[in-house]
Amino acid sequence: MRALIFPVCWLLLMSPAAWGTVFPDEPRARTPLVISAALDLSVVSPLLEAFQAAHPRIDVDFREDTTLAVNDSVSNGPPAPDVVISSAMPLQMARVNDGWARRLDSPQARAWPDWAKWRNEVFGFTFEPIVMVYRLDLARHMLPPQTHADLQQLLTSHAELLDRRVTTYSPQVSAIGYTLSQQDARYSTRFWELVDAMGQLNAGLERDTQTMLEGINEGRYWLGYNLIGSYAMAYAQHHPDIIVQVPMDYSLVMMRMVFVHRDAEHPEAAETFVNFLLGPEGQHVLAGQTPLFSPLTDMAGPWTARRLREQVGEHLYPIPLDASLLAFVDPARREAFMRQWRETFGSVEDSPSASP
Amino acid sequence: MRLLLVEDDELISRSLGQALTRLGNSVEVFASCRDARAALQGAPFDLVVLDLGLPDGDGLSLLEEIRRRGDSTPVLILTARDGLDDRVRGLDLGADDYLAKPFQLAELEARVRALLRRSQQRTDNCLSLGPLRFDPATGTSWLDDAPLDLPHRERLLLESLLLHAGNIAPREILENRLFGFGEVGTNALEVYVSRLRKRLKQSGLHIRTFRGLGYRLEEDDS
Amino acid sequence: MITVTRSIKWRMAMWLLISVLGLGALLMLEAWQSSRQAAERAFDAQLAAAALTVSEAVQWRDGVPEVIIPPAALQILATSSEERVFYAVLDADGRQLSSNWPLWPVPDALQTSLGQAPDSAPLVVDQPTLHGSLRLYGREVSSAGWVDQQPVQVWVGHTLSGREQLTWALFRQAVSRFLIMVVLAGLLMALTIRYVLAPLRRLRHQLRMRDAEDMGPLEAHVPREIRELAETLDHLFARQRQGREDLLRFTADASHQLKTPLAGLQTTTELALRSDDPDHWREALGAVHDSAARTSRLASQLLSLARLRHIQGDVTQTSLELTGLVREVALDWAGREQARHHDLGLEPLPPAPVMVTAQDWALRELLGNLIDNALHYTPAGSRISLMVNREGKDVCLAVLDDGPGVASEALERLCRPFERAGRQDTEGSGLGLAIVETIAQRLGGRVRVTNLQPHGLQVALWLPEVRLSGAGLPEKRGLPGDSSARTEV
Repeated sequence: MRALIFPVCWLLLMSPAAWGTVFPDEPRARTPLVISAALDLSVVSPLLEAFQAAHPRIDVDFREDTTLAVNDSVSNGPPAPDVVISSAMPLQMARVNDGWARRLDSPQARAWPDWAKWRNEVFGFTFEPIVMVYRLDLARHMLPPQTHADLQQLLTSHAELLDRRVTTYSPQVSAIGYTLSQQDARYSTRFWELVDAMGQLNAGLERDTQTMLEGINEGRYWLGYNLIGSYAMAYAQHHPDIIVQVPMDYSLVMMRMVFVHRDAEHPEAAETFVNFLLGPEGQHVLAGQTPLFSPLTDMAGPWTARRLREQVGEHLYPIPLDASLLAFVDPARREAFMRQWRETFGSVEDSPSASP
Repeated sequence: MRLLLVEDDELISRSLGQALTRLGNSVEVFASCRDARAALQGAPFDLVVLDLGLPDGDGLSLLEEIRRRGDSTPVLILTARDGLDDRVRGLDLGADDYLAKPFQLAELEARVRALLRRSQQRTDNCLSLGPLRFDPATGTSWLDDAPLDLPHRERLLLESLLLHAGNIAPREILENRLFGFGEVGTNALEVYVSRLRKRLKQSGLHIRTFRGLGYRLEEDDS
Repeated sequence: MITVTRSIKWRMAMWLLISVLGLGALLMLEAWQSSRQAAERAFDAQLAAAALTVSEAVQWRDGVPEVIIPPAALQILATSSEERVFYAVLDADGRQLSSNWPLWPVPDALQTSLGQAPDSAPLVVDQPTLHGSLRLYGREVSSAGWVDQQPVQVWVGHTLSGREQLTWALFRQAVSRFLIMVVLAGLLMALTIRYVLAPLRRLRHQLRMRDAEDMGPLEAHVPREIRELAETLDHLFARQRQGREDLLRFTADASHQLKTPLAGLQTTTELALRSDDPDHWREALGAVHDSAARTSRLASQLLSLARLRHIQGDVTQTSLELTGLVREVALDWAGREQARHHDLGLEPLPPAPVMVTAQDWALRELLGNLIDNALHYTPAGSRISLMVNREGKDVCLAVLDDGPGVASEALERLCRPFERAGRQDTEGSGLGLAIVETIAQRLGGRVRVTNLQPHGLQVALWLPEVRLSGAGLPEKRGLPGDSSARTEV
């Protein structure tokens, strides 16, 4: 069993109140920058502060929202947001494929690794492993799972003990959850056995990682599957009862995708921001002060893909940032997938379906 | 007569000097262009005998100078070069006659005599040879100072012969002079020549026939 | 006079450059076409593969088609150039079963064929959009099944940037291959030229190293192409060698000829100096004079002959009128002191002008020598005549005398230098006829020496007459100029 404990003190964690009306106007002519993001402000604020310090003439208007709302904001304009950030990779990809993004031709964009960008229009700028999370209590009753197979085994062999004590994303409600399930299903057909097992013990389906973490912390859940590692690891640092397990067989890695909107009202500021994000300064902040992990291999800091690999091994599988993501937003495919999911899970979800 | 001899070869200049002096001339001999040029500044000469290959320059340039000055003194050119070009150039520049080395002394003497005669004729406006004198202005002629009364054609013939004195008078020229252009019998000219011959008998002059070429009025050999 | 034109290397380089440029343009055009075709083929194949992958994902559930779009199909469709991808799967009613089709309509060309053929040929359409052109590929899928199935249309499309990039990449490759080939060919050509010109360079080197006096044949290995040049050079050397040998022999002969009379002069004067007898002196002086005159004449004839034989080049021959020239020469010689004791005259000339191609001075020299010879070898009072006759197409120019003639066996040798036909007694070098012969050769005529009956000698020269056609008749023979103005030469 391997627990990840990060030694770095997390100064800014859990202080979202600091970001109200973010930066007051100054007398000089200032450029506003509207960022529509599905990304916790609390997590990303060091990055924004660093950007603000580097570019004091730009006023950042950071609009945190759900992935679906962010996706809608792309086409709801005008005014369009300048920068769009989301963890819902298929949705971002679909938007880019439809030509909503502006191509970046900066040194930073060119230097960005090929596997983490598409057409130089959209960039995956984080490297967040998908993890299992369990309470320390679990270890008293059973051997905590290290692989997907372990988990499936555990769920079937301790079905009664774990009844209603397991939680995961609702693929119906959460775009991330849907994507993760799709990707899991691509890697192994035994995923469906896992779904079946979770359905058997009435696993709780939540809409975000934060809720799942809180449920585990409160003891409602003992075990969480497919949580976003960045949040979980940060959470675990202050909650010693909570153990974060990166699956040892394969671990999906999610990337936040950012692009500059085609119709951005402040394209220069937007490009400045994305270049900052992809450049060494932004990535350095990312690697040092946020749990989002820098995908760059040459970045130093506690939160880097390299560091993660050193700790959990080579079995990190980033969700490929390419046209295949588009398949996940296909309504027919979604419908078929959700049908299978529901049939396998065995219970009708509480909340009505929302399209991602 | 005053002769200027420009010749750098001592042997030649000495013998030429002697030969020409014996003909009754006063001969001044110079061996270079420079000296000759100085001498030409003085009293006029009746004839210049000019060698082309001189140590201090080409004789042709001296000739050119003489002619440029408007000096019409007869010039006889001597040269060891017998190339046609030199001859043409010399005659073009105004030389009166030309003699290539080696030459016979007699040849030189004959040519000098002819040139001097012409020079003389030019000065006294009279054609003369030996005892014979002819005034082209009046058409009268004298033999040994006795007037010689000649018919028209004989007078024309004598004038022509005297004009060519020392040289052959070509028969075409004579015929033309006597009869004008047009056909004449082959013997017509011969008739007048023989009439003139009779008149000149015992005068120390005779007319020599050159077969197919013409006639020359000559002094009898003494 | 050697004028240097462009070097062989330059010529070759220019021709090569022009042909390479011309060829290159064609090749480039072809390379561009084939690059584009190759790129189109490659990308169309991926389009087809994507369409196939999509159509394989069509499944029928209770006779109703259902599509779960496979991610791999989209990845294939996007290609490595990350094209924007679009796809649509339509049922028989044109309803979209699965698609990310944007706002523009699906081409309906294929729809008409629906249901007509089981598997109609795929349709490829170029669709212009805001983001550039799209290549669309549509095919119809109708597979067999347990229940009656309706056909399905599968459309896939992607942007064209990859094709352009691939086209350019292929084209660049072709161009760089071509350029490398050109550079290599140029280098090879330069080496080849160098190699090919090596024999010429060797020849040049050999000629340059050659001693100025060396007239020997060339010792060179040359390729067939420049053999002619080498042989011409050899030939030239041989001629020069021959000329030099002739000159040397001639000089030797000439100096021998000059030494003999000089030796005579020396002995005669020596003897006279020893004597006190004025009669003896007079006699010796006479001999000295004769010998000096002979030697002078010999010297000038030698000069004349040498010049005739060795003057090269400027031999511009023009048409000239012969009778006038003969009359003039006759007048000149007849008037000379030298001819005083001979009857030198002119036989009646043809009345019409006679034109020959010759050089004025050469004819004068020839006639002068013949007359001079006649004056020397005939006793005083002899009759010497010049004659011009038409004989067929030729003109015969002759000098004849009524002197003693020459022995018939000597006639043959008469034209060689220093041959006096055994007449050592009279003054004369024996060069006169050799000069005549040489001039005749130069004028393209021939000379014949014959004895006359009862006695006398005729030297005749035949030259081809130039016949002028009608209008071009020369001026009527003018009167010979006044001999006092002898500028007419």
